[in-house]
Amino acid sequence: MPAFDQLNQAAGLIIPEINLIATVCIMFLTAPFLVTETGQASPGLRHRWGILTLLSIGCAAYAWIRSPLTDGAIGPFEIDALAWYVRGVTLTTGALLALLLWDQTDDSLAAEVFACLLAVLAGVNLVSVANDLIGVFLGLELVSIPTYLLLYLGRDDWQSREVTIKYFLLSIFSSALVLFGLAWVYGLAGSTNLAAITKTAVLTGTANGHQMLTVALVLILCGISFRLTAVPFHFYAPDVFQGTTPSAAAMLSFIPKVVGVVALLQIFPACYGSLQPGDWIPTSALRWLLAVMSIITMTVGNMMALRQKSLLRLLAWSSISHGGYMLVGLAVSGGATPGTSASTGLAAVLFYLPVYGIMSIGIFAALSSAGTKLRPLRSLEDLHGLSQIRPAQALAMTVCLFGMGGLPPTGGFFGKLNLFFAAWKENTELSRTLAIVLAVNAVIAATYYLRIIGLMYFEQSTVATEKESGQVAPIAAAICAVVTLLVFLMPQSLWDAARAAAGILPV
Amino acid sequence: MSVGFDLRVDSISAIMLAMVTGVSLLVALFGSGYMHGDGGYPRFFAAVSGFVFSMCMLVMANNFVLLFFFWEMVGLCSYLLIGFWFHKPSAAAASRKAFVVNRIGDFGLIMAIFLILTRFGSVSFSDVLGNPGMIADLAAADETLLPLICFCLFLGAMGKSAQFPLQVWLPDAMEGPTPVSALIHAATMVTAGIYLVARCTPLFMFAPDVQVLVSATGAITSLIAALIALTQTDLKRVLAYSTVSQLGFMFMALGCGAAGAEVTTPAVTAGMFHLFTHAYFKALLFLAAGSVMHAMGDVIDMRYFSGLRKALPITHWTFLVGAAALAGVPLLAGFWSKDEILAVLGTASSTGNYQSIFRIIRIVATVTALLTAFYTFRAYFMTFWGEERFPVEAGHHPHEATPIMAWPLRILAVCAALIGLAVGPTHQFQTYLQRTVGLKPYEAHFHLDVMVMSAVIAIAGITLAWSFYVVSPAVPARIAGMLAPFYLLSQKKFFLDEILYGIVVAPLKIFGRICVFFDRAVIDCLIDSLATVPASVSGLLKNFQGGVVTSYAGVMWFGAVAAVVVALSLF
Repeated sequence: MPAFDQLNQAAGLIIPEINLIATVCIMFLTAPFLVTETGQASPGLRHRWGILTLLSIGCAAYAWIRSPLTDGAIGPFEIDALAWYVRGVTLTTGALLALLLWDQTDDSLAAEVFACLLAVLAGVNLVSVANDLIGVFLGLELVSIPTYLLLYLGRDDWQSREVTIKYFLLSIFSSALVLFGLAWVYGLAGSTNLAAITKTAVLTGTANGHQMLTVALVLILCGISFRLTAVPFHFYAPDVFQGTTPSAAAMLSFIPKVVGVVALLQIFPACYGSLQPGDWIPTSALRWLLAVMSIITMTVGNMMALRQKSLLRLLAWSSISHGGYMLVGLAVSGGATPGTSASTGLAAVLFYLPVYGIMSIGIFAALSSAGTKLRPLRSLEDLHGLSQIRPAQALAMTVCLFGMGGLPPTGGFFGKLNLFFAAWKENTELSRTLAIVLAVNAVIAATYYLRIIGLMYFEQSTVATEKESGQVAPIAAAICAVVTLLVFLMPQSLWDAARAAAGILPV
Repeated sequence: MSVGFDLRVDSISAIMLAMVTGVSLLVALFGSGYMHGDGGYPRFFAAVSGFVFSMCMLVMANNFVLLFFFWEMVGLCSYLLIGFWFHKPSAAAASRKAFVVNRIGDFGLIMAIFLILTRFGSVSFSDVLGNPGMIADLAAADETLLPLICFCLFLGAMGKSAQFPLQVWLPDAMEGPTPVSALIHAATMVTAGIYLVARCTPLFMFAPDVQVLVSATGAITSLIAALIALTQTDLKRVLAYSTVSQLGFMFMALGCGAAGAEVTTPAVTAGMFHLFTHAYFKALLFLAAGSVMHAMGDVIDMRYFSGLRKALPITHWTFLVGAAALAGVPLLAGFWSKDEILAVLGTASSTGNYQSIFRIIRIVATVTALLTAFYTFRAYFMTFWGEERFPVEAGHHPHEATPIMAWPLRILAVCAALIGLAVGPTHQFQTYLQRTVGLKPYEAHFHLDVMVMSAVIAIAGITLAWSFYVVSPAVPARIAGMLAPFYLLSQKKFFLDEILYGIVVAPLKIFGRICVFFDRAVIDCLIDSLATVPASVSGLLKNFQGGVVTSYAGVMWFGAVAAVVVALSLF
């Protein structure tokens, strides 16, 4: 039975994802039986679910390390260097997010919350391993749908419901755009298999810029921009960040960006007939579009962040501006032959993603553990004198904020530096402009990051809050702060991995 | 190019090391008593230790870059110690002045190092100084090169060793604690310039014009400083000007090499010998002055006290030994070394191409020696003789130095008395120093005529001081009245500070004001107005964030359409 063999072989390629999904199924199916009809669960249940989640991520990570690469496969899945890299990033940050969710859930809802997280992680991985447009889209939806749940489960008030609905509607709208664009691609190539699309693109010469292809790709880009929080598809972010829990906001600030970048790198190079993302040379129309979007996104994000009084809205705008930085890398990607350092834009984006993720999760972890459930930290005023009441959290947050601002000695410094050099070295008018705008924006951004640090260290605290014991989130904050510093000390291995994932460095 | 952390200890370094560590030890012991009870006690010894380390490394360095590094380090320690009581405005100003004036000299030293590096291809002493053939070749190829290098080197030495016109910082440096004045600003750091010129003798040999300049600068400096010292009433300032004057003596000797290659080694030997003996008796004098200051409740102006010889017996006799050594009383340390300098000046004024200039310099040196004996003993008599008077600050019973302060004084006094006799007439110093690279052995003679003359000068100066300040104390005031303009000139330090202020500092200050004005009015305004842009744009953008989901979706839709239209129509 060749069909069965094929299926079996395909399943062998996605063992980490199967592992995650299986855990999700177990959790959804058993959880209702552990909760009474009035919605009460035995205290401490969330710890068990949390441990199971970490265990599942650990198993997935084990399978990830053992999985071989299959370059140039024509089956439904392909494990290339990009997929390998993305899996590593999602599983690592997934474990940190699990630690962050730990404190924020009720015992009765813990199973659903953790299951949603695992499903999201599986979705990101599926996008990266998919060798088919349908697979990519399913992966995107596997990220979106549990996210709605996660937003809803986090808080039990009208604000949370409002932003969940907001996110739900706008997310569906963006998915529709993506799907519409994918349909156009299918119409052009006659196949949904990415390998087949690559071949067709080479044969028919669509790589030179077919008008239909331009429309398709722009639609896909617009849909995915929603996930990258690129202007003008960013509007939901500040509202949603403010209306949800810090843990959900941490997830939202990072996971959609990963999945968005990966989806773009899966679809776009194939449509231009490039096997590796690193071989892909965007057409000048696309380049311009990306560049303009990135400039607007960076600038608007930072400008708006300057004026915010609400801490979570500020972080949302900061997340938007970081989406803009990533678009810089995409705009200057392409044209690199293996072994040269002609353009490192893609590698810079891929390097920046986990670094940004770690820093962002660190900030939210410190934030959520510094407040209590009754008195969460919401406005900038709540941060006054945090260094006196929560010195450890304030320190971790300071390290991560330094990273967000791109200051040494943190990994964020190299993240921004790589993007800047990638843009500068491409040596076109557009890329140089991008580099300069990036640098100016980094300066503006430093203002509000440093202001937060100033509030924590130089202001007097107004309220005395009691400490909540038995928290797990501080562990996540500590890990994030340490890793942020470590990346500065030893950036080479991560940089090599990112370059390999971008197809610049031979695996 | 790579510059190693190379050290070398040859005779000249060893002599400097012995002098630096020996004097430092005694000064540190004295300082532990002197600084007792000061709030900055640990800071003081941290800086002193830093200084001793840097000074030792300075004299042990085997290349110009390392030398320069520690040259700056001793400068830094000196800055920190002059400004030790930084809350006193005068101390803060003095430390800044010392730092800035030294920068002028350092500019020369840096230029010299660059020149050496580009022309010699190396900065190592072994390559540059230990290779006479190469120096001769370079001198033959470009006859302005070596004079230029040597001039730049000398400029560096002028800054560090306080030679005219860069001597202005040293008297002000007395704002620091007295042990520091003794260690850094009399015995050790200020001699780094002498060391540099002596070390670079192989280069200076090819630049006789610069050597004459060295001698002439030394002569001018020593004469001016001695004339200023005549009328100062601050005991430490008298000693500071005498330091400047004695440093001038050393440069006078070093420059005598211009008279010919065979005079070079005696000239360097004389300069280094005076450096060596001067370190002991000047450190002694400063420490004794410190002891006086300690007893007098930090008052050091000689007009407010006198007749201390009964109250402070140890301080009195040690100061007397130091003063006699400085004045050049026969058989004491200063006598032998000053003698050598006068002798080598005599040789230079009878041989070589620059006889007439050296004749003038020799006369200046003789006059200065007479002035030295006079002002030293003027200070001695004013402080320790006459009727017994104490300032109010001292209380009723001025206390003599504690043992920890007294013993260094005694040891230094013995050194000041005997060290010249031990190594001078026995030719120990001379034979030892000659082993330095670039110096040639020579036959030493006793110059009996010079000895007799300098002894007479010393005695004459002391006698004059005795008759003026002990026998008939009314005479000085009368003479001062008769020569009022000259007295004022001397007392006001020849208005050198004011002249330098007018020529250099004031124009630079005006320029600085203009720069500050430009910075405030133009650049700051520009930047400040730029900084308001993000905030105002932010206020504008805020209006779009209404919170209505349909408008969000509408803008998204509009954005998508615009993106497609733009992508299709533009390209």
